[in-house]
Amino acid sequence: MLVYLVRRLASTLPVLVVVSVFVFAFVHALPGDPARLEAGPEASPADIEAIRKDMGLDGPIWSQYLRWAGNTVQFRLGRSTKTRQPVAEVIGERFMPTLWLTVVAMIWATIVGVSIGVLSGVRRGRWQDRTVMVLAISGVSFPSFWMGLLLIDLFSVRLGWLPTGGYGTWKHFVMPGFTLGLAVAAVMARFTRSAFVEIMAEDYVRTARMKGVPERLVAWKHTLRNALIPVITLTGLQFGFLLGGAVVIETVFSWPGLGRLLVDSVSFRDYPVIQAVIMLFSLEFVLINLTVDVLYAVANPEIRLK
Amino acid sequence: MLRRTLLMLGVALPFAAGLAPAARAAGDVVVALDANIIGLDPADLNDNLSMTASRTMLQGLYGFDKDMKMIPVLAESTDASADAMTYVIHLRKGIIFHDGAPFNAEAVKTSFDRARNPDNHLKRASLYAPIDKIEVVDNDTVKITLKYPFGAFINNLAHQAYAISSPKAIAEFGKELGRHPSGTGPYKFVSWGTDTLKVAKNEKYWKPGLPKVDSITIRSMPENGVRLAALQAGEAQYIYPMPPELVRVVEKDPRIDVVSARSIYARYVAMNNMRKPFDNPKVRLAMNYAVDKNAFLKVVYGGYGVPLDSPLPSNLSGYTKQGSYPYDPAKAKALLAEAGLPNGFETVLWGGNSTLSQRAMQFLQQQFAAVGVKVAVEPLESGVAAAKIWNVKTPEEATTMMHFTAWSASTGDADWGLRPLLDGGAFPPTLFNTAYYSNPVVNDAIKAGLTTADPAKRQAAYDIAQAQIWKDTPWIFLISDDNVSAKTKTLSGIYVLPDGQMLMEEAELK
Amino acid sequence: MSATLAQPPSAAIRTPIGEFLRRFRRQHLALIALAVLLALVLSAVFAPWIAPYDPATPDYASVLDGPSAAHWLGTDAYGRDILSRIIWGGRVSLSVGFLSVALGGMVGIVIGLISGFFGGWLDGALMRLMDVLLAFPGIILAIGVVALLGPGIDNVIYSIAVFSVPVFARLVRGTTLALKQSLYVQAARSIGVGKMALMLRHILPGAMPGVIVYASLRLGTSILTAASLSFIGLGARPPSPEWGAMLADGRSFLGVADHLTLFPGLAIFVTVLAFNILGDGLRDALDQKLR
Repeated sequence: MLVYLVRRLASTLPVLVVVSVFVFAFVHALPGDPARLEAGPEASPADIEAIRKDMGLDGPIWSQYLRWAGNTVQFRLGRSTKTRQPVAEVIGERFMPTLWLTVVAMIWATIVGVSIGVLSGVRRGRWQDRTVMVLAISGVSFPSFWMGLLLIDLFSVRLGWLPTGGYGTWKHFVMPGFTLGLAVAAVMARFTRSAFVEIMAEDYVRTARMKGVPERLVAWKHTLRNALIPVITLTGLQFGFLLGGAVVIETVFSWPGLGRLLVDSVSFRDYPVIQAVIMLFSLEFVLINLTVDVLYAVANPEIRLK
Repeated sequence: MLRRTLLMLGVALPFAAGLAPAARAAGDVVVALDANIIGLDPADLNDNLSMTASRTMLQGLYGFDKDMKMIPVLAESTDASADAMTYVIHLRKGIIFHDGAPFNAEAVKTSFDRARNPDNHLKRASLYAPIDKIEVVDNDTVKITLKYPFGAFINNLAHQAYAISSPKAIAEFGKELGRHPSGTGPYKFVSWGTDTLKVAKNEKYWKPGLPKVDSITIRSMPENGVRLAALQAGEAQYIYPMPPELVRVVEKDPRIDVVSARSIYARYVAMNNMRKPFDNPKVRLAMNYAVDKNAFLKVVYGGYGVPLDSPLPSNLSGYTKQGSYPYDPAKAKALLAEAGLPNGFETVLWGGNSTLSQRAMQFLQQQFAAVGVKVAVEPLESGVAAAKIWNVKTPEEATTMMHFTAWSASTGDADWGLRPLLDGGAFPPTLFNTAYYSNPVVNDAIKAGLTTADPAKRQAAYDIAQAQIWKDTPWIFLISDDNVSAKTKTLSGIYVLPDGQMLMEEAELK
Repeated sequence: MSATLAQPPSAAIRTPIGEFLRRFRRQHLALIALAVLLALVLSAVFAPWIAPYDPATPDYASVLDGPSAAHWLGTDAYGRDILSRIIWGGRVSLSVGFLSVALGGMVGIVIGLISGFFGGWLDGALMRLMDVLLAFPGIILAIGVVALLGPGIDNVIYSIAVFSVPVFARLVRGTTLALKQSLYVQAARSIGVGKMALMLRHILPGAMPGVIVYASLRLGTSILTAASLSFIGLGARPPSPEWGAMLADGRSFLGVADHLTLFPGLAIFVTVLAFNILGDGLRDALDQKLR
């Protein structure tokens, strides 16, 4: 296990290198000159040239890459070209709000989603199954900004219970956390149900059923373990997605998250911030996937870690 | 389901309690705006929102009152030479910066020299370009000598880019000045974090009786409807912009006032005057007749605004009314036929990708279709727009056909309302003449206006320019929309200037 | 016949399609969903004959009117008939869903199968590539695509397809890993069934229920993603009546004219819901092991 972990971690290094090249190339391939955007329409060509130099955008592209990569390895992320704030600070300010919102959304969505899924799977085909599944699916079928705006209208304007947005007390988490988790809960519910139903029908489970109680218990253990696989996959994926920030929900709820930061940075072509944020996301994903692969093995020892 | 969420959040979020800001202090005003503050170093800003934030703390020698009339602020008076080359400025006495440094001639020189030093790479250095040297005459007098005559120089002094930072802060923070602003303004810097700026009352403010509130918090709320919801819910006391289409929601709300005021925004469609078919004046004229400006105002801006009747908006100094191109599709069709295009033509309309901009372009598309002109609407993402417009070395390379855009002259003066947009020397990448319009009469007039400080001569020059441009129709002259904001009835003293910046010095809660 | 190995003997007697239909008929909710979707598809196909008005013609005399006899679902900010726009918009929104999922799903399935089946360095390489794609936020990818290729619905479809690929790939790989160890695949392998046949006949069918469930979800998600793209100004070009664009556009009038968001929102909601319920039903009916 330990060997596996070390090897997996080592194997992520080339991924990060590939990501860095990809990100750098992507950012620089986007049409739009950051110096021009920074300077605004009133600026003179001389101003813009000066800004470009200041941004380190002079010289051949490969040397720019090497300079950036070299600095990044040493955690010198530079300054935002837009606000001139250190990139680490820009990201730092928004990382925690993003993480907490993700955690809140994931927790409620996983608990509710998996419970609905299990209930549905066990009561498959009965009215309980249909009702809870239609409910769960309804959650995922709402366009999130519409849902968000309706919630704000109800809970902030009409009832005055919750703030319209921003980051602060637990009250600020309720609506964005709920909206963000809604889609996840539905996905979790359906996958849990699916996995449950499918594996309940597996040969060994049916055999166990026919043979009587003790083996049935064994089979249940198997069932749960196997059912867990897609649920784990999905939890990992969803967690990664949500950590990437949700620009729509962050915009609606004025949430200081990474999604909005990234989209704003792209429209300003704020290269240092875009690059650093995407590198951070890659790192998160790599770590999450590693965790997922390890959990596979925990859930089902038949899947060996090679 | 919601109740369960609440319960769960209560369990999952004990940590959140620590993050809670204390309940709003009495006398704290929350102003919700539509974007994020980018910086607080006035010499390094080019967006209205950041300049608004900066204005709460930093002041210039001159400034604007709420109607954007230029007024002396830290200056008492100025003696300009007849050739518009030297300006002797007498300073107000006895003022100190937030950090305790005294305001004097030396401070002015330090602040200006820093802003215009090319090594500092500040975005507004170009506004300082006319300055040759700054001399300290005595403790309360500075003399500024220009490189060339510039009649509108005092207008530059009123620009927020000329706001004066404390020499102590400049020495102490250097490049970090934008995160540690220190000026002479009514409010002192407290904190600037994600999406939120907080400033507090300057107890030693030089204007007696001001400021009247303890603090101001500026919050960024990008979504229009949510900004309004925050006002309705009492989380914000002032919101700008107030989406005009939603005015009906709060019109009857006894707690809320909607405030609108003329702006100096000119919204127009630049037609590429060097490209067929827009090189034909008849086609350009036809396009002007093809658009119903009043309907445009109603559909896009909720009726808040006025049609343009000159290339300059009516609120800008130097404006002279020219006339109107009333909605007349039959005439437009006839003009197109005269131009050899009886069946219309096809072209592309560029513009921004905001909801409002897309709504405007969609409306224009419908209007053009009615006279047989098929327009493909292309909403451009900001970076792409910049690339398409600026990555052009010569006018021949330009692919612009029609460009829906807007301008507000940040100096509040006719020169900056015309020269960047319509001077023959202002083609991209130099400036913003995306109409690629050049008429010697206009070019000469703009130059004449620039090289004198005599108001009468300047007005005469701008009259000539406006008349010629109106006749040549390089643009489709659309509208000047109002600045619409909304506030709680208990709040007064916050004003939106015609250029979209705001004044908060006199804010007061009743 | 190696294929029968994977199936219980009874299934070999009935034809697979007959068996599927027999089971599907028992899914009443799914049948309703299918009927709803068929109606939507038909109305989109026959839009020119069904829609009472032209979807792009403005009428400034009746702007933002609520539902009435003349305009059943009211009119929008330009006085265009909302019902007609929803009917025409079905063409755009349904195509966005189908095309992006078909494109992204196919690529993802192939990658997932290969990755899970062969394992080793190929698996490592492919999955790391998927990690790169996953880590790259979808919205940013979409901004990139739109910035490079220009605005428009085709590019919206490509963007959405690209960010569906890695999820399909990881999903299929996960199941492939599990099925590879399963009794029937081991058995098939032991009697010398080829790799292609193993993948396509034995593992792929096993992975299909998962894929179908996900694809049905994804169809809905794609339509929702298109709406999100419109929300940030990167969606369909005006005057396209794509539902997401209508919804994003109409949100400016929430509180003044709620029907501008209500009806496109409902259209999206019903469609996404129907896709999901249908997917569920299909899954149950497709699963050969269920009784």
